[in-house]
Amino acid sequence: MGKNLEQLLADVLQIPATEVTDQLAMTDVEVWDSLKHIELIASLEEQLGVQLSFDDIVAMRSVGDIKRVLNNKGVTV
Amino acid sequence: MDLGGKQIIVTGGVKGLGRAMVEKLVSRGAVVTVFDIDVAGFDSLKQELPDVQCFACDVTNYEQVSGAVEDYFASRGAPDVLINNAGILYSEPLIRITGTGLQLHDADMWERVLRTNLTSVFYMTTSVVGKMIARRTKGVVVNIGSVAAAGNPGASAYSAAKAGVHALTQAWARELGPMGIRVIAVAPGYMDTDSAHAATSETALRETIKRVPLRRLGKTEEVADAVVAVIENDFFNGKVFELDGGLTI
Repeated sequence: MGKNLEQLLADVLQIPATEVTDQLAMTDVEVWDSLKHIELIASLEEQLGVQLSFDDIVAMRSVGDIKRVLNNKGVTV
Repeated sequence: MDLGGKQIIVTGGVKGLGRAMVEKLVSRGAVVTVFDIDVAGFDSLKQELPDVQCFACDVTNYEQVSGAVEDYFASRGAPDVLINNAGILYSEPLIRITGTGLQLHDADMWERVLRTNLTSVFYMTTSVVGKMIARRTKGVVVNIGSVAAAGNPGASAYSAAKAGVHALTQAWARELGPMGIRVIAVAPGYMDTDSAHAATSETALRETIKRVPLRRLGKTEEVADAVVAVIENDFFNGKVFELDGGLTI
């Protein structure tokens, strides 16, 4: 992985990395809509080399959710 | 994308441009399924191409599209390619001055042309791509547009519908690209098809041919070749491939 998860999320969501906490949810970030979510999923798959299922994608509603899904897939973040 | 063994849906594949695409794709080893309202044409298609599967479906009817797509996924799984080809040619000016006065564009025909050429593309694509995304399947959507999208005098409804198809192509390419689904349009110019001859007077066709730098109408096989080319090129996305003999230069 070229950069850490927080930095990856910050880059996609166009927010400072310091604002990327586990509690940060889609509803907290104006640009984190369904289109941005697709971009985020594509970045995660590309950067982490992981294949996410549709259920995974739907479950990823916050940074904490993203970490939980990735951890369940054996990705350490 | 190598076409060998790929699952491809072609709407309106019984006759005309769609038939030419089906024949070309089958010859390249693709597994083709036709969605068409022309059930009477299924027999001749199956006689020529027995491996082609046919689904009776009016693509302007959302319930029929949903049902046929559901059946398709249940029997064949996710397609690799969807080709939105079904449509109708129609010419009518916005206003026509006749011996008895002013005749306005038929409002019912406006609705029918938009529904057949544009709404059907939305119905098919949302139904198929929705299931592809749910299964995380990558693939290609090819929309058959037209050079008339630039605004063809005497063809308000058709021009508007095809312009809409081109716009959807660009919007969907941006939306779906990150998920590995390419969206492309192929825009034929004036083609030598039965429907073109039926919708346009021979005089008008002769005048059109004079405006085409190559001085002829396009062949259906050439459109099929263009469709194959854009499917096979994995970096072609969000663009309209114009195949018009140089008419729009």
